[in-house]
Amino acid sequence: MATDTLKSRPGAAGGLRRLLLDNGALTALVVLVIAMSALSGDFLTADNLLNVGVQAAVTAILAFGVTFVIVSAGIDLSVGSVAALSATVLAWSATEAGVPVALAVVLAVATGVACGLVNGFLISYGKLPPFIATLAMLSVARGLSLVVSQGSPIAFPDSVSHLGDTLGGWLPVPVLVMVAMGLITALVLGRTYIGRSMYAIGGNEEAARLSGLRVKRHKLAIYALSGLFAAAAGIVLAARLSSAQPQAAQGYELDAIAAVVIGGASLAGGTGKASGTLIGALILAVLRNGLNLLSVSAFWQQVVIGVVIALAVLLDTVRRKAGATPAAAGTGQGGRGRQAVTYVVAAVVAVAVVGATSLLHGGDPAGKERKIGLSLSTLNNPFFVQIRAGAEQEAEKRGVDLTVTDAQNDASQQANQLQNFTSEGLGAIVVNPVDSDAAGPSVRSANKADIPVIAVDRGVGKADTAALVASDNVEGGRMGARALAEKLGGKGTIVILQGQAGTSASRERGAGFAEGLRAYPGIEVVAKQPADFDRTKGLDVMTNLLQAHPDIDGVFAENDEMALGAIKALGAKAGRSVQVVGFDGTPDGLKAVEAGTLYASVAQVPKELGRIAVDNALRAADGERVEELVKVPVKVVTKENVAGFGG
Amino acid sequence: MSNADELLRIEGIRKTFPGVVALDGVDFDLRRGEVHVLLGENGAGKSTLIKMLSGAYTPDAGRILADGREVRIGGAQDSERLGIATIYQEFNLVPDLTVAENIFLGRQPRRFGMIDRKRMEADAEVLLARVGVDVSPRARVRELGIARLQMVEIAKALSLDARVLIMDEPTAVLTSEEVDRLFAIVRRLRAEGVGIVFITHHLEEIAALGDRVTVIRDGRSVGQVPASTPEDELVRLMVGRSIEQQYPRERPETGTALLKVEGLTRDGVFHDVSFEVRAGEVVGIAGLVGAGRTEVARAVFGADPYDAGSVRVGDVPLRRHDVNAAMAAGIGLVPEDRKGQGLVLDASVEENLGLVTLRSATRAGLVDLKRQREAAARIAGQLGVRMAGLGQHVRTLSGGNQQKVVIGKWLLADTRVLILDEPTRGIDVGAKVEIYQLVNELTAQGAAVLMISSDLPEVLGMSDRVLVMAQGRIAGELAAGDATQDAVMALAVSTPAGSTNHSNGTEAPGGH
Repeated sequence: MATDTLKSRPGAAGGLRRLLLDNGALTALVVLVIAMSALSGDFLTADNLLNVGVQAAVTAILAFGVTFVIVSAGIDLSVGSVAALSATVLAWSATEAGVPVALAVVLAVATGVACGLVNGFLISYGKLPPFIATLAMLSVARGLSLVVSQGSPIAFPDSVSHLGDTLGGWLPVPVLVMVAMGLITALVLGRTYIGRSMYAIGGNEEAARLSGLRVKRHKLAIYALSGLFAAAAGIVLAARLSSAQPQAAQGYELDAIAAVVIGGASLAGGTGKASGTLIGALILAVLRNGLNLLSVSAFWQQVVIGVVIALAVLLDTVRRKAGATPAAAGTGQGGRGRQAVTYVVAAVVAVAVVGATSLLHGGDPAGKERKIGLSLSTLNNPFFVQIRAGAEQEAEKRGVDLTVTDAQNDASQQANQLQNFTSEGLGAIVVNPVDSDAAGPSVRSANKADIPVIAVDRGVGKADTAALVASDNVEGGRMGARALAEKLGGKGTIVILQGQAGTSASRERGAGFAEGLRAYPGIEVVAKQPADFDRTKGLDVMTNLLQAHPDIDGVFAENDEMALGAIKALGAKAGRSVQVVGFDGTPDGLKAVEAGTLYASVAQVPKELGRIAVDNALRAADGERVEELVKVPVKVVTKENVAGFGG
Repeated sequence: MSNADELLRIEGIRKTFPGVVALDGVDFDLRRGEVHVLLGENGAGKSTLIKMLSGAYTPDAGRILADGREVRIGGAQDSERLGIATIYQEFNLVPDLTVAENIFLGRQPRRFGMIDRKRMEADAEVLLARVGVDVSPRARVRELGIARLQMVEIAKALSLDARVLIMDEPTAVLTSEEVDRLFAIVRRLRAEGVGIVFITHHLEEIAALGDRVTVIRDGRSVGQVPASTPEDELVRLMVGRSIEQQYPRERPETGTALLKVEGLTRDGVFHDVSFEVRAGEVVGIAGLVGAGRTEVARAVFGADPYDAGSVRVGDVPLRRHDVNAAMAAGIGLVPEDRKGQGLVLDASVEENLGLVTLRSATRAGLVDLKRQREAAARIAGQLGVRMAGLGQHVRTLSGGNQQKVVIGKWLLADTRVLILDEPTRGIDVGAKVEIYQLVNELTAQGAAVLMISSDLPEVLGMSDRVLVMAQGRIAGELAAGDATQDAVMALAVSTPAGSTNHSNGTEAPGGH
């Protein structure tokens, strides 16, 4: 048998091969770092590298926990939600329940472990596939964190928030925590009974069981460990933002899994190392950081990240194949030929990264001193796309280089992007916070670096902003209430579609609307449900509400997207028996107003927001005085006046 | 130059993998209507050779001729075009598809883009009839036993109009009846003019079925002899020396009963199974596949539950369905499915050897890796595991060496009762004898061994007592002196009395 003959290979060659295999991901990381350094002068600075470390920390800590699970041939999709839940529990018990902070930390960790134990129990004793059990926990933990926090971010206790600070003014604590957790992971995997059992269970569960390993109990412990690490990650994440966000760490489980797999683990189980996972997390962080620095378009960033994940794992697979099973390659060439293959793949990765980034490199380095950054909460919504359009037009007119990033509604991703702006030393930063409080710490560090920050649409808590450029949401809410109530003749039943829980836009519009409605006691609000500013969710939520309340007369949606979703759900009723009022005045919204399905939209002028924000940013960068609060007026747009309102 | 009957000729084939020469100067030829046996120890290069014919590997040097013309087999398509079909030990069937779908997988007859089920099933029916197996084309492959799976594989090969059929140890997993049926099919195919390359470790099958034998040793063809060559001579050619005794059982004095099983029953699987194994004794369990032997062994070890009865080691009763209780009492199990249940294939020799002792080597959660390594090195040396080092993955060891690792992990744990389930399946003659020597050493030290085997000569040669199981019951017990193949087979096919009334092994014919 061909494979059998491997035994006669000299041990030294095996050792070398092993070393190469272990360093598959490392090669990819080195290639990336070299490429990024070559492309951006801001990359290879001590400050920025520490940034990368901080930005990798949360993913890495989550991924360490997931490494245990993947080595034992399981999967844990719940870590992101569990991280958010643990942080929320900490913040809630310390601030609102008045528990001593130390005890709150214990409670948070216990929450993580408990979630892991439930996962482990369902998998070991309930015989659920890990994918399903942890998918269920993903939803449950997320829901619980929203329940505990009632949807709003909770300020994190100051003493714990120091976990997000720096030691001696330069060494970030998250990096220390990451390194410590990494060492613990390495120790657990390499030296402990439970760690060695993970490899045996992942390699062959039945053989492990028949060798006397208590597989079921081990699985409980493995998932509990994963939960413990998720809790730690959640605490670090919240500490960085000084705020526990119920919606934090969404989708992080996939980043964590990617980091583990990039690090050389197999989803089939039995392989994986702490060092590999750390490298995997660093690869992801280096990419995000580098792409920010290079001003690669927010949309292309996602494409590049996906491609690099695939290439990194491909590189590792090719190495593995070349090194471990020469028989499978089926060709007669020697080890040298295979090494060549490895280098070719490495070269392809390098060229792909360099090529893609330089191709997508949006900015022009000429106006370096006139460079400003715009961090948007999301680009998955026309309103923010309009802000970007206004900002870009203004930037072009004034001849400055504008870098736009998309935080994808993730407060910690936004913190990373702001940090990258700061370490780049931009002239000014315009931020549209995902969450007002969570943006605080990163804006403070920009303050420290004397970079003026302009907030747009939403304010920033506990930090200095040169100006806030915003529509008057409370006034808009009042106007929306008035418009809807007048249209209904002062009486009727309505439902409210709320925006993303915890965002200031949702809070303020809701508050303004409630205030405005007080003047019309004949109007009854029969239901209030969140649809997250999202059109699809607006459609679904409205459909559900119609089952319970088929006879409503009006709908107030806290933005146009949800209003448009509601109109779809209402079908022919929209604009006839049911009046819908939206908010924002997006192009689609205005079209619906024109068509008569949307009665009114409280129109903001997002392009104006973007334009005025950039204008203020440039003035602040030049040291000119700017108004602290720039209110961009809102206006109720109905069919009568829509013609004069070309968004 | 080549005669008209020649289907295939291989000349001076050489194949190297980094660091090793797998094949060096192998000659082989196959004629129409013959069974050509390929004989050699594990690791001799038989599999590499057939993989050249099936297109999995390409040779570094040498020629392959089909019908007198030189050909290059670069992939599975090439070999299919040449009419070469291979049936590996691990079947390539999709469990949840039907028999007909498996036979025509990827080549299903189609009508208007839809699969023409009727025609496919009719065609499958014809092929299955040609193989002589009674299986519905609509049956799901998952529901078939191993022998029928093999027949389906053969039918699939026939559907490809194979003129050359390569069978890699087809009899390793079959009972003797099934082997007889397989031989009948092979003879019929031979009569139809198909050339068959047959790999086996069972020497007696060579005379029964073969026409010619090519012996491969250490990557070289060392001789081509007629199938009528005496077995000793074949063994000498194969291992390069003569093996004096195939079953070197040494019987020590037996001591007290170590393992006592009473009235063990799992409804519908095995019933009222009682026996004991004494210190220093090897008790064999023979029987047909499906008689419930493995199930009993797993229940004794605590791997599976049972409904009634008891298991004791010494005088300590064991908790039901508790592997750890069995281990604590000193029972070890070398399972039937070595790769699937005995080994963590992608872990190292050291890790596999240390699996059972992992817990006892742990202090305060930390494993004493140094002690584990020393213990693994000691036992690997003692068992003569041939490997590059303790760090080698067990996947890359030969079957015999893999089995030594499985046994080794139990030796490290001071096992007093070792259950061996098919201990030498798929292992070559030389390694088999080494494993038998191990059994001797164990029993000499006062351990008890319970050995399940479908290899009758092995059961008879190595056991001190033989229990025969049939239909989930113990049909009888034979002392070593009384046990003959005929006596065992008679019991194995009998309907045990217990099917209607209660009985146990002691009332068996030919008992003490």
